Amino acid sequence: MSEGNGDAVTRRLPDLAAGAPEDFALRVLRRAGLSREHYDTYVRLDTAAGGLFVAASPQTVTGACLDSAGLTATGFEELHRARTGRSAIPGGRPLPGLLPALRTGRARRLAIDLSGLPEGQRAILEAVRTIPPGQLRPLSWIAREADAGSPPPVSDVLGALTANPVAVLIPCHRVTHDNGSPCDAAYLPKAGEALRRAEHIDMRRVAELSRAGAVFLGSDTTFIYCHPTCAHARRITPGHRVHFPTARDAREAGYRACKSCRPLTV
Amino acid sequence: MDDKAEQLTDLLAVHLEAGFTELVRVHAGAVHAFLYRVSGSAAEADDLGQDTFLRAYTALREYAPARRRELRPRAWLMTIAANVWRNHVRTRTRRPVTAGLPVEESMDVWPDHSPGPDERAATAEDRSRLVTALSALPEHHRIPVVLHHVIGMSYTEVAEVQGCAVGTAKAQVSRGLAGLRRLLEPEPTVLKEVTM
Repeated sequence: MSEGNGDAVTRRLPDLAAGAPEDFALRVLRRAGLSREHYDTYVRLDTAAGGLFVAASPQTVTGACLDSAGLTATGFEELHRARTGRSAIPGGRPLPGLLPALRTGRARRLAIDLSGLPEGQRAILEAVRTIPPGQLRPLSWIAREADAGSPPPVSDVLGALTANPVAVLIPCHRVTHDNGSPCDAAYLPKAGEALRRAEHIDMRRVAELSRAGAVFLGSDTTFIYCHPTCAHARRITPGHRVHFPTARDAREAGYRACKSCRPLTV
Repeated sequence: MDDKAEQLTDLLAVHLEAGFTELVRVHAGAVHAFLYRVSGSAAEADDLGQDTFLRAYTALREYAPARRRELRPRAWLMTIAANVWRNHVRTRTRRPVTAGLPVEESMDVWPDHSPGPDERAATAEDRSRLVTALSALPEHHRIPVVLHHVIGMSYTEVAEVQGCAVGTAKAQVSRGLAGLRRLLEPEPTVLKEVTM
């Protein structure tokens, strides 16, 4: 009897190791008078694809990761440590501009520190950042935007997308393969889907167009061709919409490239 | 785990501020939990926990890099925390006591896998009985029991914190546990009949 009771006691004692209040570590560091430059703080914010841990120094975002793959706070802290060599301490206020960027999907102006990555990957991720919310761009477009002179091979672009250290805020969910199917390199398919749905990207329409062989859409009133999800392409009335399988076809039909979405030119 | 501890002490030796930040990130939770279970009050654990790390930081600044590298961070921090707690108890007896009974934290910080309200109530009651019993243990038994069974430290580490031999630490833990079991023994049947 007493033995069984004892086992129960030793079994239940570890449950008493209640976690500290979330901002305890932060208050300790402040009390010790440590400069804010020595550590990052992080918050967990809600997105369409679940919680997003976002770590930031006082000036820039230094890392972000979705918790959809079962990532815990401790897991994120260790991942951040391994990636950046900085400690991520829970708590504090989100970086100014972070919440609106996440709410509207317009994170292009948000300060993001990518200095830990090789230059090629940084250029690719900077190109991904220029995709406007609600729109999609193919891998070849990313490659060209990253380096117009000598575009990196597709494998490099995929590598950079997989390495994306700032999920959601660098919108990899807006990148597709050249046939129009989404390329969720670093996301679980479900997470990418949820993020695109939240931006009102109509994937069914995208799939239909890609089946119809329409890589580009043109308007026969302006003689301009666009990526199908470009804001200008979406407002072409059905009667005036022209499909082009390649940029060369558009060019030969006397069309010019849209200056907003900058599709491929030949 | 050992690998991580090694990285931490290396970091402490090379770059004090970064190392201390990492020390806080990794060990703040355990220090807080230890002080919470030893003091029985979350507010006190908060204050004393901050004192602990402040002392640790002050000490680390005086240490030479070689000494920082040889540190065993968790045991070292718990030693400071235990001293901070003992000092606190000593000075508290000279001051008017303001703290009431130990208050168990609210239910909503619990993990969500407890099935129904009935079971939750039963677990909560079990838990609060355990907490009460723990705070009824004498000081020199409570600290080792919390260190070994709540925080999960080895006997060697407990001995280091307590400043005694490993065998003594084992004895302290086992006496503490025996005390806990005695305190948790079901109430006499007479009482049970009355309440039922």
